[in-house]
Amino acid sequence: MSEKIAQLKEKALAELATVETTKQLQDLKVQYLGKKGPIQELMMTMKDLSKEERPIFGQAVNEVKKYLESKFEEAAVVISERELAKKLEEEKIDITLPGYKMEHGNLHPLVLVQRELEDVFIGMGYTVEEGPEVEYDLYNFERANIPQDHPARDMQDTFYIDAERLLRTHTTAIQTRQLEAGKEKMPLKMICPGKVYRRDDDDATHSHQFTQIEGLVVAEGITLADLKGTLEFMARKILGEKCAVRFRPSFFPFTEPSVEVDISCHMCGGKGCNVCKHTGWIEVLGAGMVHPGVLEMAGIDSKKYSGFAFGVGIERIAMLKYGVDDIRHFYTNDLRFLKGFSRFE
Amino acid sequence: MRLSYNWISELVDLHDIDAYKLADMLTTAGFEVEGIEPAAQGTNLVIGEVLECVDHPDSDHLHCTKVNIGDEVLNIVCGAPNCRTGLKVIVAKVGAVLPEITIKKGNIRGQESNGMLCSLRELGVNEKYLTEYQLAGIEELPADAEVGNTEVLKYLGLDDVVLEVGLTPNRADFMAMFSAAKEVSAITGRECKLPVNKKCEKELPATISISSKTEKCPLFLGKYIHNVEIKESPKWMVDRLHAAGIKSINNVVDISNYVMLETGQPLHFYDADKNTAKALCAESGKDMEYTALDGVTYHITEDDIVIMSGDNCAGIAGIMGGDDSKIDDTTKSIIIEAASFNAVSIRNSSRRFNLNTDACTRFIKGIEPMAAYKAMERCVDLLMEYAGSTEIEETVEYGSLNYTPTVFDVTLSFINNRLGTHYSIETVVDVLTKLNFAPEVNGETITVHVPSYRWDVSIPEDISEEVIRLVGYDSLESTLPMMPMTLGALNPVQRKRRLVEKELGAMGLTQVLTYTLVSEERKNMAVMPLEGTVTLASCLSEDRKHVRSSVLPSMLEVVSYNLARNANHVNIYEVSSVYGEKAVEERLGICLYGSLQELPWAKANITTDFYTLKGVIETLLERMGFDAARIMIKENTVDTTMFHPGKSAALYVGKDLVGVFGAIHPTMCKKYDIKEVYAAELKLSVLYETKVSKVKFTPLPKFPSSKRDLAFVIKNEVAVGKVVEAIKKVNKSMISSVEVFDIYQGEHVEKGYKSVALSIMYQLADKTITDQDILPVQEKIMATLEKEFDAVLRK
Repeated sequence: MSEKIAQLKEKALAELATVETTKQLQDLKVQYLGKKGPIQELMMTMKDLSKEERPIFGQAVNEVKKYLESKFEEAAVVISERELAKKLEEEKIDITLPGYKMEHGNLHPLVLVQRELEDVFIGMGYTVEEGPEVEYDLYNFERANIPQDHPARDMQDTFYIDAERLLRTHTTAIQTRQLEAGKEKMPLKMICPGKVYRRDDDDATHSHQFTQIEGLVVAEGITLADLKGTLEFMARKILGEKCAVRFRPSFFPFTEPSVEVDISCHMCGGKGCNVCKHTGWIEVLGAGMVHPGVLEMAGIDSKKYSGFAFGVGIERIAMLKYGVDDIRHFYTNDLRFLKGFSRFE
Repeated sequence: MRLSYNWISELVDLHDIDAYKLADMLTTAGFEVEGIEPAAQGTNLVIGEVLECVDHPDSDHLHCTKVNIGDEVLNIVCGAPNCRTGLKVIVAKVGAVLPEITIKKGNIRGQESNGMLCSLRELGVNEKYLTEYQLAGIEELPADAEVGNTEVLKYLGLDDVVLEVGLTPNRADFMAMFSAAKEVSAITGRECKLPVNKKCEKELPATISISSKTEKCPLFLGKYIHNVEIKESPKWMVDRLHAAGIKSINNVVDISNYVMLETGQPLHFYDADKNTAKALCAESGKDMEYTALDGVTYHITEDDIVIMSGDNCAGIAGIMGGDDSKIDDTTKSIIIEAASFNAVSIRNSSRRFNLNTDACTRFIKGIEPMAAYKAMERCVDLLMEYAGSTEIEETVEYGSLNYTPTVFDVTLSFINNRLGTHYSIETVVDVLTKLNFAPEVNGETITVHVPSYRWDVSIPEDISEEVIRLVGYDSLESTLPMMPMTLGALNPVQRKRRLVEKELGAMGLTQVLTYTLVSEERKNMAVMPLEGTVTLASCLSEDRKHVRSSVLPSMLEVVSYNLARNANHVNIYEVSSVYGEKAVEERLGICLYGSLQELPWAKANITTDFYTLKGVIETLLERMGFDAARIMIKENTVDTTMFHPGKSAALYVGKDLVGVFGAIHPTMCKKYDIKEVYAAELKLSVLYETKVSKVKFTPLPKFPSSKRDLAFVIKNEVAVGKVVEAIKKVNKSMISSVEVFDIYQGEHVEKGYKSVALSIMYQLADKTITDQDILPVQEKIMATLEKEFDAVLRK
């Protein structure tokens, strides 16, 4: 009898070794351990045995049953692992196919640069002020200390609308309005971004429409050294921490002293390259101490208050920052161009 | 302004400061040197003599020469027609570097050539100063030129360097050489030596009449010189005129120009024999045609100033003299005019005539008050020396000099407080002394006496600039303002604008920026134009004539531009102010073409159509805080020229018109050469001003909801939006949402009808909703659909 059990065991194990799929395993399990299987058959024969033999036989059959059950379980794990591995293998995809990219729009590069500048100054406590592009001669010229027939009006050929109105030629027009409005709200600390217009024929470096951002600080005891420190701070945030700032004397009717501001070339670090025309410096700003006449015309006591002002061309900064070689790109709006400016950096 | 280095170094000692160093110093002091231009250039040059000149055997125009250059005789092949034996010439030896070529040893058609005989043009001399004869051949040096002299440029007077100085409008004084010398003297700290004029010992009594009948000529000096001898100018004068960009004519004309360069005062010399009236009078012009020196006829009006001589017009004052009294070879005597004319008047005349002369540029930019007197004295000196003048009348002066010296006080602390510097009184006084401001110190106070040629200086702030300009900006510290705290922030409108830009970017739209100025045609295409077009008084081109009152016409150009360059998708927006005579408005323009999202190989796109555009706008408004219930989409009665009347709509928030959106009208598409574009123009100003709902927490539903789908067939013209509204109205508390999930036309649906499928979400606030709750509502909905919309339910 025990021989029969042993044979059954061997046979089952031999067949189990050939099993490959879960289905085959299931069938084999039913074949041996099912209700009509040989183990069950052996159990059925137990009733024919003597009382003494029964427990021994029963135990032997049970052992085989348990043993086979555990072997089937082991095999099940191995087979399902194997099957899973095969399934995973079959499910392999081509990871080199392109992803489904989400189209995301860009800000216009000029807006991008303007925002960056705005944010630097907002962080320093400046407000952002705007004003009309169709402006009165009064705010654009007179209040900026550029009276009728002043030679400076030759520098800025203007789109006049009528005797009193024009397209503003600089964002100084916003400042003169803000000075008038702010005389009761000292101190003033603001930047004024906006579109401006000059009678220029459009070419690679000129545009009849462009964008400026001007800064204005008026308080007690403001100095030219404060202007230098402020511009140095700005330049470092926008063009890099190593940026140095240099002042050169200049002339603007609305500031005294007036300076041209050069920033050390961010491309070559001041060693000299094509961008800075081998000088190591790039001219980016006009600035100065607000002319006392400008304060007085706005109703501000120039003996008590002093201030500085500066103006920068957004196009100029964008062209420097990104190496754009033609100002007209900004207004042509070729999508291939615009798509290139996804972030400021 | 062209500044000759040789000339300035004669007035200021610059022996150890070369032209390039001087250029740096000028730039640092506010006179930006924009260019440095040598009068002529060339290395390895020597003066030679042609010993032999024979025709080249193999050429019909070349010569073979033997040229003595002192220490050797060179064989040189030369092509100049004027090359001949005995001529003194400029030789560029082998290795010489000229502006355009480097001389190499050569063999020209079988003949050895060891150098080149040069023309002045080959040395880089500007052609405009050379005669046709000089341009046609090599330069012919005087017979006494020293063979073997290697300092050729110096010998020629062409060893000069011209600095091109960009002057700021306040420093027109620098245009006068004498003032420039004083400035250079202050910048370099070197002494300035101006020429001392010889005076005519006994001037004759004046016999001419000088006057002015116009306020535009407040000062008029005239002088009659009885004898001048017309001849060539001395070479140094010719060179200096050339350096300044002025052509030499003859000694007398050259003196008038030379004195203008020195003193800044434009002068006019009249041939006295041709001025029979012996009188000059400045007066307002009369309507007439007048032919000036340049041979051009100008139309004179009463706005111009003319110089009359009796009944004859002798010139356009301050701009150009007349042809009939000009100085020529026959001139024997002259009348000198040195006057002061109103800058604005001269500028207006110059613009109207489109005529810019040296004289008028100077009058426009400003002239030192004393210049007329200084110029007259200087003329006398030079005419006596170089034109043999001896019989000289006294100067006749009409009008008076309106000049009081500028004197004011400034304190040391004012200067330091404005600049943020710590200058000592000595430093400040030193600078002011160098500048000839004759500072008088009284404790902390300095009284400055501004010299007449510095009319730009009038207030203490000007002095602060003068001081730091000459001390140098490099030593200026960097500090930050010490002032009360201010809040840095965007205002509410600026924040909303940034939100609009962010949301549209996230939806895949790229921002564009187009010009404010538009053509007549574009102006007329304006969507929701503001009242009254703002038009330029005079435009540069017809394309840029009006200030736009709508953004879409310009944006469609961008679409057209990009489509012409094979863009598959153009999804753009622009935020810009637009203008009318009485109003400003901020507008948002949107254009969609192609797909908004495209997943090429997944074959899943969001193509742009009316509903994409509507969805973009609805999403934007929702993100800005407008409840869906407040947004009204109505039939477009606003603009059916720009928009397709059947595929567009007007958008309202409450009662306010916000804008129009939809397909661009096919006729417009044709004009722009574009295909089906969906576009919108919205009034952002209205959206900015309209109150939006507060962001507020709503409790989440406690009980589950239940969804029922409903499909029915209705006539094509029935608006689904109205059906949805009607369904919602059936039971507002139980129906939480109604979504359209399919619209179908085609097979199994009768022509003229459409099949609509909706999902209706049911929800109760106080318990889980059941079939029993939903059934009656659903039946009521069906009844409503059948009754109100003739709908046939699909099972």
